Amino acid sequence: MTAESVETLLARIDAAVRARARLRGRPLDATIAALVAAADRWRDDAVLVRAVAEAARLSPPVVTAGLRFAADAIDAAALRSLVEAEWGPGAARRPVPEGPALVAHVLASNVPALALPAIALGCLAGAAVVVKSGRRDPVSAPAFARTLAAVDPDLAATVVATYWPGGDVAREEVVLRRADVAIVTGGTSALGALGARLGRGLVAHGPRASAAVVGRAADVDAAAEALALDVAIHDQRGCLSPHAVWVEGDARGFARTLARALDATAIAFPLGPADVEERAAARVFAAEAEWRPGMEVFGGVVYEEADVFRPTPGLRTVRVHPLGRIDDFPTRLAPGAVECLAVAGLDPVLLAPELRARGVSRVCRPGRMQRPSIRWPRGQRAPLGVLLGRAHEPQLEIEP
Amino acid sequence: MAVAGGSGAAYASTPMIEGELAAVIDATRHGGPEPVFEDWALRTFAHQFERNAPYRAFCERRGVSPATVARWEDVPAVPSAAFRHVDLACGPAEAVFRTSGTTAAGRGRHLVPHLPLYRASALAAFERFVLPDGFRLTCLCLVPALAARPDSSLVRMCAWVGEELASDVEWFVGADGLDVERLLTRLADAETHGDAILLLGVTAAFAELFAECRAQRRVFRLGPASRVVDTGGQKGLERPLSRAAFLRECWTLLGVPGYYCVNEYGMTELCSQRYDSALDDRFHGRGLTPRRLVAPPWLRTRVLDPDTLVPVRDGDAGLLCHHDLANAGSVSVVLTEDIGRVPAPGGIEVFGRAPGAPPRGCGMLLADVLAS
Repeated sequence: MTAESVETLLARIDAAVRARARLRGRPLDATIAALVAAADRWRDDAVLVRAVAEAARLSPPVVTAGLRFAADAIDAAALRSLVEAEWGPGAARRPVPEGPALVAHVLASNVPALALPAIALGCLAGAAVVVKSGRRDPVSAPAFARTLAAVDPDLAATVVATYWPGGDVAREEVVLRRADVAIVTGGTSALGALGARLGRGLVAHGPRASAAVVGRAADVDAAAEALALDVAIHDQRGCLSPHAVWVEGDARGFARTLARALDATAIAFPLGPADVEERAAARVFAAEAEWRPGMEVFGGVVYEEADVFRPTPGLRTVRVHPLGRIDDFPTRLAPGAVECLAVAGLDPVLLAPELRARGVSRVCRPGRMQRPSIRWPRGQRAPLGVLLGRAHEPQLEIEP
Repeated sequence: MAVAGGSGAAYASTPMIEGELAAVIDATRHGGPEPVFEDWALRTFAHQFERNAPYRAFCERRGVSPATVARWEDVPAVPSAAFRHVDLACGPAEAVFRTSGTTAAGRGRHLVPHLPLYRASALAAFERFVLPDGFRLTCLCLVPALAARPDSSLVRMCAWVGEELASDVEWFVGADGLDVERLLTRLADAETHGDAILLLGVTAAFAELFAECRAQRRVFRLGPASRVVDTGGQKGLERPLSRAAFLRECWTLLGVPGYYCVNEYGMTELCSQRYDSALDDRFHGRGLTPRRLVAPPWLRTRVLDPDTLVPVRDGDAGLLCHHDLANAGSVSVVLTEDIGRVPAPGGIEVFGRAPGAPPRGCGMLLADVLAS
């Protein structure tokens, strides 16, 4: 995919901002209805699945599930509760209050369909939205924009889907400086450099991973099966993908069970093609585990007595650690390292204060990790509030 | 040579296979026949299976024993990670070599029970690929002296080269790192006298030398047949230096043409090394491209698919797996964390390390010296 010229892109952005200004009197409910209708039409597009699978190097069943999960999150009740959380009861029936004119999103490349929540949140904030797709999914954002145009051309005119190759600093800076708020996902060094250049209005999401804890009261087989699905979706590339599981009780047995569950899950959700570097990293991970004292290898699962959170190299590889006491479990998580924690067999509310202090933004049941709602406070930031520039306490969402 | 205490019978023959192989390899320097790879591979595997308990356990977990192995390709490969956690040796160590550049806990170590085998292999390969013309030059070593780093397999090799294959040897890395001023003076002296010299060291030291030459606006035209041997690649470099740029600097700053610049690829876990093909190709009247890393006949390398550990198609990238007969005293087949390919028959090209693999290697030797 080739990048359009900067002039063309800026002209499209200006047009989107003007289109947004024309919708100033429109009630939010109309925007919500259009987004939900577009997501419903978008979710089962076989052509899109094939295109995303090829670009993202994921298997079609994995892409199908990922796109459905993304579309499911564009839910009317959730969207309505978001706007009411920011602007009070009845806010959905009113026009959106004055806010940012333009929101820019630079999406990560690791997971497809990140454009959906990005576009939806920008529309709810009353802003025009420019979405720069990641290298591995340049297709789902324009596909959603086209679907939205079929449902609500006026709203679609406020959305600009674009792509340029990574490292095009000049173009990135022109676009991001034009926006009131820029949400950027990327590596630590790239984000640091961007933050130094842009300063205000930048919301950065760096690399993170997720984990799980399985208490004594959990149904081990069910937990393993559900976690295997969480691992398999997006081939473990996303920040919501679990890399480590702490187990109260027979951790070694759980490692074996999880390995079997991963094998079984791979039948329905095959692993996509991977680069030699990625596959070599997974081999090195397993080789190290076979020889290091206190470790044991069960397929892609490594039982490991050392218990500090460390992400695996991915490709559906997981560390399983024994856990003596549940109450000091959060100390295993380095601050800022873990985005989501799946909890089975214990009450997550007991861990909430410690998890919040360590930067965890979401707690859910196994099997739900890859299905965040639109309310997910990624990076502990209120999803809509961050676009409106509002200060919030660090947030932790505990799904029921 | 000591034998294992308390089980002398078990180790009584330890030096025999290694000594015999050392003699065979050494004889190749004087026109002797090359070792028959498959025969020696099966013999050394039987030897290692019998005497190396962790390796035997590893093989047994895979249902492999000398009785089930008929081809050299079927001898199980130990991942280089194993050297970080267990001692893999067939007898008491005559020398222990440690990898450079990682935390102490993450360092691998290679126990070598019979140093003469390492010596025979190292010298025969060096002579074949670096000194095919039989020249004996003054060797300027850009690595620490043996007394400072007795646990470095590279330093040990350099010391042997200095003793056996050079007219003289001088060392230019001390406790404070590369003594670049003394080296510049020495290069100027060699230039004045028209001497051909052999510069041997880690790539990072050459990069430091080049930077200093540029800073001081110094340029040398070393005597004809001078040569550069570097090892360690990008590891330990403050700034990236491509191979093309390295060769350009050798010519521009030292007056050494590219075909006299030989890159060495070695590992602490191996007793044999690979060398850039350029000088060997030139000496034998062959074309110089593609430049690749070639090996003596007792070292073979396969490029394996990381998932299946079966060889990849010709030219494809994979993990490098070395089968080094000179490792008879430890484990001969080592699955590395290096990614590479075979650009032309008999040679390999190394791209880099698998992501997540600990940084290590000779390239970190200078950093190690300064850190200590």
